Amino acid sequence: MSGDKTVMKAWTRAQSRLGRRQAMPIVGLGLLSSLVAVGQAWCVAAILARVLVGPAGSGAAGLLGALAALALARGLCLTLGDIVAARAGRAARRRLRDGVLSAILRGGPALLRQQHSAELTALAVDRVEALDGFFARWIPASILWIAAPGLIAVLAAFIQPGSAAIMAACGLAVPVGQALFGIGAAVASRNQFLAMTRLQARFLDRVRGIATIVLAGRTEDEAHRLADAADELRRRTMKVLRVAFLSSASIDCAMVVALVLIALRNGGIVLELHHGAASPALVADATMRGLFVLLLVPEFFVPLRGLALAYQDRAHAAGAASAMAALPDGDAPASAGATAQVDAEGVSVAFEHVTFAWDAARGPVLDDLSFAVPAGQTLILVGASGSGKSTIIEMLLGFVVPGSGRVTIGRADVTSLTPSNLSGLVSWIGQKPVLFAGTLRENILFARPDASAEDLGHALRAAAVDTFVSDLPEGLETRIGEGGFGLSGGQAQRIAIARAYLKNAPLLLLDEPTAHLDPATEADIFASLRGLAQGRTVILASHSASVHEFTGQRLDLGCRHPVPVQGEHEHVG
Amino acid sequence: MSDKPGNTPPTGAGGLTPVLRVLSLWRGRAPLLVAGGVLSLLALLAGLVLMRGAGARLAGTASGTLVVGVLLLRVSGVGRVVLRYVERLVTHDAMFRALADVRVWFFRHLAGGAAAGLGFRRAGDLLSRLVSDVEALDGLYLRILVPLAGACLILPFLVLAVLPVDPALAVVVGGLFLTGAFVLPLGAALLGRRQAGALTHRLAGLRIGVLDLVSGLREIRAFGAEGRILSHVRERDARLFEAQARQARLLAVVGGASYLCGQAAVLAVLAAALGVGFGPIPAVRAAGLLFLVVAGFEGIGGLTRAGALAGGISRAAARVISVGAQDGPAVPAGTLPAPAGTDLRFEQVSFRWRADRAPVFDGLTLDIPAGSRVAVLGPSGIGKSTLAALLLKVAAPTSGRILLGGQDLAELDSGSVRRRVAWLSQATHLFADTIRANLLLGRPDATEAELWMALDRAQIGDLVRSMPDRLDTWLGEGGATVSGGQGRRIALARTLLSDAPILILDEPATGLDAETERDFLLTLNAVTTGRTVILIAHRLTGVETLDRIWRLSDGRATAVAA
Repeated sequence: MSGDKTVMKAWTRAQSRLGRRQAMPIVGLGLLSSLVAVGQAWCVAAILARVLVGPAGSGAAGLLGALAALALARGLCLTLGDIVAARAGRAARRRLRDGVLSAILRGGPALLRQQHSAELTALAVDRVEALDGFFARWIPASILWIAAPGLIAVLAAFIQPGSAAIMAACGLAVPVGQALFGIGAAVASRNQFLAMTRLQARFLDRVRGIATIVLAGRTEDEAHRLADAADELRRRTMKVLRVAFLSSASIDCAMVVALVLIALRNGGIVLELHHGAASPALVADATMRGLFVLLLVPEFFVPLRGLALAYQDRAHAAGAASAMAALPDGDAPASAGATAQVDAEGVSVAFEHVTFAWDAARGPVLDDLSFAVPAGQTLILVGASGSGKSTIIEMLLGFVVPGSGRVTIGRADVTSLTPSNLSGLVSWIGQKPVLFAGTLRENILFARPDASAEDLGHALRAAAVDTFVSDLPEGLETRIGEGGFGLSGGQAQRIAIARAYLKNAPLLLLDEPTAHLDPATEADIFASLRGLAQGRTVILASHSASVHEFTGQRLDLGCRHPVPVQGEHEHVG
Repeated sequence: MSDKPGNTPPTGAGGLTPVLRVLSLWRGRAPLLVAGGVLSLLALLAGLVLMRGAGARLAGTASGTLVVGVLLLRVSGVGRVVLRYVERLVTHDAMFRALADVRVWFFRHLAGGAAAGLGFRRAGDLLSRLVSDVEALDGLYLRILVPLAGACLILPFLVLAVLPVDPALAVVVGGLFLTGAFVLPLGAALLGRRQAGALTHRLAGLRIGVLDLVSGLREIRAFGAEGRILSHVRERDARLFEAQARQARLLAVVGGASYLCGQAAVLAVLAAALGVGFGPIPAVRAAGLLFLVVAGFEGIGGLTRAGALAGGISRAAARVISVGAQDGPAVPAGTLPAPAGTDLRFEQVSFRWRADRAPVFDGLTLDIPAGSRVAVLGPSGIGKSTLAALLLKVAAPTSGRILLGGQDLAELDSGSVRRRVAWLSQATHLFADTIRANLLLGRPDATEAELWMALDRAQIGDLVRSMPDRLDTWLGEGGATVSGGQGRRIALARTLLSDAPILILDEPATGLDAETERDFLLTLNAVTTGRTVILIAHRLTGVETLDRIWRLSDGRATAVAA
């Protein structure tokens, strides 16, 4: 838990440093706005003093004009300040989102073993969105709350040092009050924020599993429990808020005290002047000064209030920090010092004494595994789930690095290949190909965006995509993927095969390519895959009974000795 | 997501109707909500009196006539702070209660209506979006209704204070206040509503892009497409930012305009005091009015921002409300308790999920005597899961009938039907909770021994025993902390806890590898003896023991030799 806190603190500090430069224009405009506010207070005080004590008339229009101009300037400052703050928020979010996405790309599918893809998406989208306030409001507010009142107090001190001192004293009382009520409240509010998040997560979880609840006949129970949980949260939250609002009431309190004290003090001064029968000019001057400082009081407290309002933005940041800290950091695992090149002609693959564990506590998935696949041959991986089939394929894709031992492609160590060289060597087809939001054409060209129409046509025919494209509403231009036309499992797999044809890489990795298909479709897809496998080095992980249609070495990860498949189903494809 | 046909609830252009519907859900909380509003108004009033008093006192002393006592100043000062504190506590408390009501209402509605069929069809993303819509409703009371009520109070207070002094000035100040408190927020709401649509749409676009990136990691690496996909997502990001920048500019400009309204009112009062434009007004009153105007306009500062948010909130309200009216055929709520007999019979059952969709079943007839073990096979998408939905009364036949123990399912109470029929599928949800809580969902009164027995029968007991927290081990979201096969066995244990005589096994082993699948099916054979078993699958593995097998095609079932 304390480790968590350190991470959060470090993250918040690092982000504050990065955000501060962007915050400078906001702070500048804020200070300018406070300065204009002082001018406004001066004009209003001058006009009021003139009205109350005289001499009225002369220069009044000028003062009104000046006040109008200052009001416009202030309005402009506020508007610009808001726009600049929004821009700073966007800049920070762009930077953070880029960082998160790059980290996800670096981390690769290994991340998906710990986190659901929806969670990662939420991190890159919603969590980052929620951080807007941290950069747009909290960082500038955390500078302005000292700078702006300081500026106002100094200016007030030139006119009436005594009242400025009252203001400053009341202002200083705010942090003291905050400390008194606030420290407890800050800790409690962080806990409360966590409790809130947990309730939201619980609600979402129950709604997602609503079918299960309904069918178990537990709707009423769960509804009551949900109500109880919400009520419990409310009670706890209110306990926190009772204290937290005290700390913001301390700002109100300080302001009222400052107002009343300054009003009484100036009232006293002016009254005394009246009783002492001072000259009207003297009275007018004293009135003006008094009004001026009085009008400054609310302005003095505006930035303090801003800080209190922005505090929840900070709480949001703390939540996001721990989630982002869980992502892999800057250094990519594989590409360091990658220099080796492998020709894209037929490649061999070898594992030499490879050991790997996803989780040290659970023991290694691969333990001293060795095998070799000569160029153009096929290796079939069999074994129960969790026996390391996917791990082997992920090593060949460069997503995970062996704990010990070596993985070579074409006799070059995989870790020494540049990512672009490596990706040039392999094609990969998994259980369900990911269809990106876009047209069918874009999805196939994903493999090689600059492919010629001829190459595309060849790939479509070879993968038998052309057999169903004509039935689609808009042919190759049909939109598929999220929010588009749904393809059947077999059709989707054909797209993956077309991609692989288009890419034409020497090493083909097949990870349970027919796991979600019914037997008839499975047979079709296997037939296409056999065509694709011609002349390539193939690693096929599958538990399907039809896998014997492939000829090649068979590696049972249960027993760990490569056994050649008996040629009962020799295929010449 | 947003343009996926058939999966999007009516996006509802928003507007007032859904907001009123949400408010009507809060009827029970009305006293508290109103109390919060009244307190907020009192706090505002105290603030107005305080400011007016401060100004008047100063003016009074300056001109030598003391008008306001120190006492009044102090009382209203203390009153303001105390009232503000109490008001914030009460309004927040009321808001939490109201929001909890909406959550529970939403949950009941989703579970009760045809919407359960929606969950049955696993539209997870849609559901998460609805959940965040419920959360968005908290702004409705705190940020819109309460400040709006405040503005309604300040307006007459302000006008009545100025009117006796100078009617023309009252008109000007009142007009400016109306503009700042109502016209500008309304404008912001109207403009914001259009933009809220664009924002939602572009955010969804970004989400799709990111989801593509996350789920396509292997493809991206295999095709070396990191740069391409990243620039693709950046493009979507930039489009979202563009829409946000537009909204931020709108908000800033409207906020600035609202500020200028207040300043114009201040200028008008000062001008009147100086006798410029308006007849000169008494100095002391002018000072009082000035402070009053400043405080009054301060009270409505947040309304423009709230106005711009109103569009989003009313859209959220519309989506939440529309849950009650999800599409899908209605299920008749029966009243009779389920009979003792458990023979099942489908008689000429026809069904379609929506009128514009092709029928799933067309004259389906099946006979499943009590205690028999049957399989219904067919390729994915043919409607095998719909069969489960019909039996569980999540959906009702469009024609024909289903008999349970000789009684029409439509007449039977759905709760009692579901106590007879248990369901296990790959979609069976494991909740982010302890193993114990997940099991107790099957039968809340099960004893510790019964829980272990169920786990043992599902052949997962030893694994759970080896976990450090045993039954209190926390399962992550969707059972993320255990493997697929282990999760399925925990779900099986939960199903076994319920003593329902009919078991529907809907693709119970899909997604497991061959050996795990075989083991799991063997376990199923062993633990389901004596119950009616309806196995729904796209293929058989050969280890299932079955009495009858049907294959589904063209909305009908054909018997296959077992």
